[in-house]
Amino acid sequence: MENMVNYNPSFAEEVFRDVDSGDEIKMCMNCGVCAGSCPLREHMDYPPRQIFGLIRAGKREAVLSSKAIMLCTSCYTCVVKCPRDIPVMDVMHGLAHYALKQGYVPRKDTANFGKEFWNQVYKLGRIDEKDLPRRVFFAGGFVEGIKAMLNFMDIGLKLMLHRRMKLLPERKIKGVKLLQKMLDKAEGLGKGGIAA
Amino acid sequence: MDKKTAIYICTGCGIGDALDIEQLKEEGTEDFSIDLTKDHPFLCGQEGVDIIKQDIEGEGINTVIIAGCSHRVNYDAFNFGQGVIVQRVNLREQVAWSQPPKEEDTQMLAEDNLRIGCSQAKDTELTEPFKAEEEYSKDILVVGGGLAGMTAALETAKAGYQAVIVEKEASLGGFLGKMKKLITMPYKDVSESGAEELIKAIEENSKVKVYTSSTVEKISGAPGLYTVDIKANGNGASERVGAVVQATGWVPYDANKLGHLGYGKFKDVITNVEMEEMAAAGKITRPSDGSEVKNVLFIQCAGSRDPEHLPYCSSVCCLVSMKQATYVKEQNAEAVNYVLYKDVRTVGQAEDFYRKAQNDGSVFIRGEAANVGEAGGKLFVEADDELLGERVKIEELDLIVLAVGMVPASKPETTPKIKAPADTEGADEDGMMEVMPDSGFFANSALNLEYRQGPELPTLKYGFPDSHFICFPYETRRTGVYSAGCIRRPMETAKAIDDAVGAAMKAIQCTEVTAEGKAVHPRAGDMTYPEFNMQRCTQCKRCTEECPFGAINEDEEANPLPNPTRCRRCGICMGACPERIISFKNYSVGMIGNMIKTINVPEEDEEKPRVLCLICENDALPALDMAGIKRMKWSPYVRFVPMRCLGSMNLVWIADSLSRGIDGILLLGCRHGDDYQCHFIKGSELAETRLSKVSETLDRLALESERVKFVEVGITDYDKIPVIINEFMETIEEVGPNPYKGW
Repeated sequence: MENMVNYNPSFAEEVFRDVDSGDEIKMCMNCGVCAGSCPLREHMDYPPRQIFGLIRAGKREAVLSSKAIMLCTSCYTCVVKCPRDIPVMDVMHGLAHYALKQGYVPRKDTANFGKEFWNQVYKLGRIDEKDLPRRVFFAGGFVEGIKAMLNFMDIGLKLMLHRRMKLLPERKIKGVKLLQKMLDKAEGLGKGGIAA
Repeated sequence: MDKKTAIYICTGCGIGDALDIEQLKEEGTEDFSIDLTKDHPFLCGQEGVDIIKQDIEGEGINTVIIAGCSHRVNYDAFNFGQGVIVQRVNLREQVAWSQPPKEEDTQMLAEDNLRIGCSQAKDTELTEPFKAEEEYSKDILVVGGGLAGMTAALETAKAGYQAVIVEKEASLGGFLGKMKKLITMPYKDVSESGAEELIKAIEENSKVKVYTSSTVEKISGAPGLYTVDIKANGNGASERVGAVVQATGWVPYDANKLGHLGYGKFKDVITNVEMEEMAAAGKITRPSDGSEVKNVLFIQCAGSRDPEHLPYCSSVCCLVSMKQATYVKEQNAEAVNYVLYKDVRTVGQAEDFYRKAQNDGSVFIRGEAANVGEAGGKLFVEADDELLGERVKIEELDLIVLAVGMVPASKPETTPKIKAPADTEGADEDGMMEVMPDSGFFANSALNLEYRQGPELPTLKYGFPDSHFICFPYETRRTGVYSAGCIRRPMETAKAIDDAVGAAMKAIQCTEVTAEGKAVHPRAGDMTYPEFNMQRCTQCKRCTEECPFGAINEDEEANPLPNPTRCRRCGICMGACPERIISFKNYSVGMIGNMIKTINVPEEDEEKPRVLCLICENDALPALDMAGIKRMKWSPYVRFVPMRCLGSMNLVWIADSLSRGIDGILLLGCRHGDDYQCHFIKGSELAETRLSKVSETLDRLALESERVKFVEVGITDYDKIPVIINEFMETIEEVGPNPYKGW
């Protein structure tokens, strides 16, 4: 048969070993409550339960290039509802980081946003409300950047009106060095860490 | 006995406000010789009860008619001992609470109810418990020496009774003895089977007698009086016992029928039972070449939950496969266990073991096996993975274990089909068709009861003994014979132990109440029993055929030979007898007939119809009481006469009522069929069958068939009762008054 999936436990072993929270999915009993409660379910190519099924079956390519693992917005609904106490959200983030590390980029925008966000937090200890969008918008090229800026102009003006966005660049928080030390340590605790 | 009858009318609970008590005393009792009539506003209170007690002592009253609440309440307050007949008349739930107060129809209903009660009290005789001539035995026979059998015997001994185990194998233990490990509470890990300790406890117990390599050749007699012929190692032995626990266990479903899963085709496809035996014997290896096992796949529901094979779930196979997966892991930490399942059914706390199996790394795949094959000396399975929605292939398998289900040992190889009436296609000239029976007497030989209806327990369609599953699970359709363990339904060890304890307790209870001359459930404590007026018997065999409990044997001339200790006192024989020769001391065809005759039937021009409702007192009557308690209203023209079981209904009552001018007859009984609720199993079904033949009577009287109706009611259907009654009253109104009124 053509599309026959050969069960191969090696990818599952890899996930258990190398992905943050990856070993938690052992306990999945396929009830589907995570998929049923996920607000982004309709945008996902595979719901969390199916992701777990694919891992079990050994479909490495399908899992690591799946958009679903990068769509998680950390709403925690699945974590709260899972009858087996699996931190589904952590697993999804773990998989996303692992995918990036392995050279897969399931969603370029999300990956880029995540990277810029992280860099800024690491550098300043906070987000610069004009610098971050600028970097994200212009990642796709100059024309794209201008278009995106015009699109968000209204919001930008309102933010400025309410003093949520300053004209001058944001300054570093106090003790940013200590924060960086903390983040470095946290990174070391994980199995895969964040994508470089 | 010379009766001195007194009537006590309670005027509490709204009865006094709804009725004219003085008129009731006069009208309701005029046809009967009543020595004393009193009323009291709180009869069940100490003062009221004391008044009755004083009259019993002072006036010599020995028949007490209490008109007030339902007989289902306050029975303890109105118990005046063996020598006093107590008759209850319902004026509360059926009258004061369900009818408008101070109305003529309400008053007439109360008067009729009182008259019915007076008539019943008049015909009631004091009961004397049945006492057999032989001495009663209180020993318990346990057939089968597996976990359930051994537990039942030990529990019997612990309670201070003697037990006799008959085991067909050379040693005790059953399947428990063949197990490597077992899973039981708290389901965290596997544990030792404990078979050896259990066998030792049995051997050391002086109250348990064990026959191994033995079978039961014959059980004759009745509860309390059984004689058991045992064939032990070729020699005969005989024991006298009071009750029997059947714990003959289970056999695995025949895997030879599972060729589509590779059984018989590949040597490395084995059943879970073979796997257990291999593990218990030592090492798990590939049967084909004895080599190491690394990848194992368990196919769950192999033949189970499949209409072609075993249509039910055995509830244990999931746990068994998980247990066997731990054996494989223990032997080789690198091993991979795959479990291909439809649904994992680890009931209750057993879910913890499922968690353990997952944590140990077993791979659970939800889907059905589509193909089992061999490639390069290893097996593979193709399956439809439900979660991926794709066909998947699991390769490089060393061993495939088929998780086959449990079949009761009593199930015969083939179930004979029976001929039943059918109006569908394929019926023969007589309108009959061969069908699989819902229940029948086809069990494999285990008990060899000397009963006229057959030597074994009546079974349901899958071979499990028939029992009232909700209310009386251990009780079978043979009084004094109780089933425990996997013969009753598939179950795991912890539940089999529970079952055995329960069945042993029931068996002991049976021997005790039998020795006192009382009935076992559901009429526990009833001391009446059917008496046969043999001079008028026509040897028609209806009683011996229809008794759901096989209580009545037969001699060569087809005369019924009653066994009162087998009897459950339902009165189904009484309803069956066309000659009406069977009666109880406080329940007979004549008595009910007289009760019906006391119902006052007004003339046609009064426009007050009368409907007789024969109501089952097990479920329908409580439902009616409940409707009364909820203050629901229904027609005042209905007169209720309770039945022990609707199966005791005799058609003569229907004919008599209609010829007296009663406009309609409503029968309220339990649900019957596959999921029957009848406390006497066949009662309501028999009643409906008999009723289908009543049309002849109606034709003879030139009456409409709508006048007689049977309705199935559950105990929770109280809200439907007023609807049923009112709908029937509408029908009666349409049909018009009974032309026999006033004749």
